[in-house]
Amino acid sequence: MNEHLLLVEDDGSIRASTTLGLERAGFHVTSARDGREALATFQREPFDLVILDLMLPEIDGFEVCRQIRRDSAIPIVMLTARSDATDVVAGLELGADDYVTKPFDLPVLIARARAVLRRASGDDQHVVIRVGDLEIDPGAFSTHRGGVELPLTATEFRLLETLARRPGQVFTREMLLSAVWGYDYLGDSRLVDVAVQRLRAKIEEDPANPRWIVTVRGVGYRLERT
Amino acid sequence: MVQDVARPTRLRRRLTIAFVLVAGASTAILAATTLLMVREARQRDSLDRAEREARFGLRLAEGLGSGSDLQQFVDGFEARGVHAVMVEDDERFDSDPQVAPPIPARVRSLAAEGQLAYARLDVGGRPYLLVGGRPLGSTSELYLLFPEAAADRDLDRLGAVLLLGWIGTLGLSGLVGWLVARRTLAPVARASRAARSLAEGLLDTRLPVGTEDEFGAWAQSFNRMAEALQAKIDELTEARARERRFTSDVAHELRTPLTALVSEAGMLAEHLDRMPPEAERPAELLVADVARLRVLVEDLMTISRFDAGQQDVRLEPVDLGSVVAATIRARGWEGRVRARVGPAELLSDRRRIEAIVGNLLANALEHGGPDVDVRVGTADGWAAVEVRDRGPGIAPEDLPHVFERFYKADRARSGGSGLGLSIALENARLLGGRLEVSSEPGRGARFTLRLPVTEPLRAGDGAVASQREDGATDQGGQTS
Repeated sequence: MNEHLLLVEDDGSIRASTTLGLERAGFHVTSARDGREALATFQREPFDLVILDLMLPEIDGFEVCRQIRRDSAIPIVMLTARSDATDVVAGLELGADDYVTKPFDLPVLIARARAVLRRASGDDQHVVIRVGDLEIDPGAFSTHRGGVELPLTATEFRLLETLARRPGQVFTREMLLSAVWGYDYLGDSRLVDVAVQRLRAKIEEDPANPRWIVTVRGVGYRLERT
Repeated sequence: MVQDVARPTRLRRRLTIAFVLVAGASTAILAATTLLMVREARQRDSLDRAEREARFGLRLAEGLGSGSDLQQFVDGFEARGVHAVMVEDDERFDSDPQVAPPIPARVRSLAAEGQLAYARLDVGGRPYLLVGGRPLGSTSELYLLFPEAAADRDLDRLGAVLLLGWIGTLGLSGLVGWLVARRTLAPVARASRAARSLAEGLLDTRLPVGTEDEFGAWAQSFNRMAEALQAKIDELTEARARERRFTSDVAHELRTPLTALVSEAGMLAEHLDRMPPEAERPAELLVADVARLRVLVEDLMTISRFDAGQQDVRLEPVDLGSVVAATIRARGWEGRVRARVGPAELLSDRRRIEAIVGNLLANALEHGGPDVDVRVGTADGWAAVEVRDRGPGIAPEDLPHVFERFYKADRARSGGSGLGLSIALENARLLGGRLEVSSEPGRGARFTLRLPVTEPLRAGDGAVASQREDGATDQGGQTS
């Protein structure tokens, strides 16, 4: 077990207390105090999860997120100042999987971290799901189109998998939040909307006029049957 | 907004009427005087001519015989357009028997005394001037009748022309008066519009000074007033913005140490039972106080975001009843709150409704005890959530202040930040709704949230897109 976790946070007190709490919860924590150090550490060691403060000196959290996402699908949980600010959506659009608003309860952060790690771990089943020309393999945790692997993050993969397991069925945002993110009550529906947009950008020919993942007005989303 | 009682055209009308009255009266007096003087002059001329003719006629009549001589004599006048009458004793000789007026007795008596007498007569509807006298050395009298119809016709015509001219003058003066009044009052209308736009918040409104008259001076004073007003309001706005920035900065600066405190207190709380007894109680208090501080800082941040206008609304179809039920469930209040839920669907922001309802319920449970009722329903295009407790209620003097920031009716008991109801009110306003309170002391308080029921426009991706557009104005930088 003992997942290796990179905590990027510039404030010493928050870094110390959060590290302590995460270590007690059984994580192996390496911390970085700014964006530059975070990227250097990320290159040097293998990690299972990044917890990333968005407001950082020198290289900010958005840039760190963008650079990590360039060649890694590692789960990222953001620490943000406010839940209703643009930085949440901006972070999600850059590929972050979830967020926690400061000040946060440690148990909440730990629960979010575990949920996103669970998403990233492969299933036992080796039943490949086919939707159109997409091949979704939950066991190998990969998605292929015509033999080419699509670079989906854990969240995007689980979202696609959830929709693809029941094609034609409408999923409300609440259902998807519960199934993919593990929220059992009142999660942020923007998590779903932004993840759907990112997923469309990766699997749709024309993301503006989606052929596969369609919006059901006033309800949620549905994956079209082939 | 004050209703405009003054009618902007009334003064213009009054000025126009005054102009017409002055012009009408003066031209009427002028015309009447003219008519009178012309008439008098014409009559005097006519009399002078008649007198000359009469004296000539009397001279001719001197030494005339009687009878047929007299008849012949008077007939001679007809050729000159004058009727003549000779009276000798009681015998009359008329040049034209058809025009044979009775000679007034006064004229006859004057003529008998040897004087030249005249009178104006109406014969058969025509005006005549009668002049007569007694020729020298004769017992008969000669009277001459001069027709004056032509002169009267001229006077009538002159009168008609003057009347027409008077009417024309009235019309013209009305038009000119209206134009002049409009032109004169234009600066007033301009100032009125400027004052209105100032009142509507366009503080850089100014009047053109233009002419160097009273209006120019007025415009200058008006502009000075507007400048002073603008400066004052700018100053107040700036002071208020500074104050809000300070609140926001304080809240954000507090958040960083608070985040660490919350984590540390959380870990401490897990190990309270393993602490030495003398440390356990203080640690317990510390944990509770950190929780209170957290509520205060979070509420302060929320309210400062409202002040900065940095709140967005994410509209989606919302079933009010299910939001209320979910709020009660999520906070574990099922046993303490009774909910009566009717159908109420609207397009609104679920999380804000949840925040408002959560706050109202927490408030009711804190102040009113466990017996809290919630009712959800719709009426007259409004969806309503009513939260009612059976606590001690709110004193009438506190009632108008319950939504004020940091106002606590019962300072000793309140455990909240003092911002909860202010935030709930701001949230309700943001959603286009209202939050009302009523209370009977001793019988509990009732808070009612009313939200407009609007038609759903769009959903799905639109919600995210609009959210991002709104968020684009949010540039508030903070430290983490």
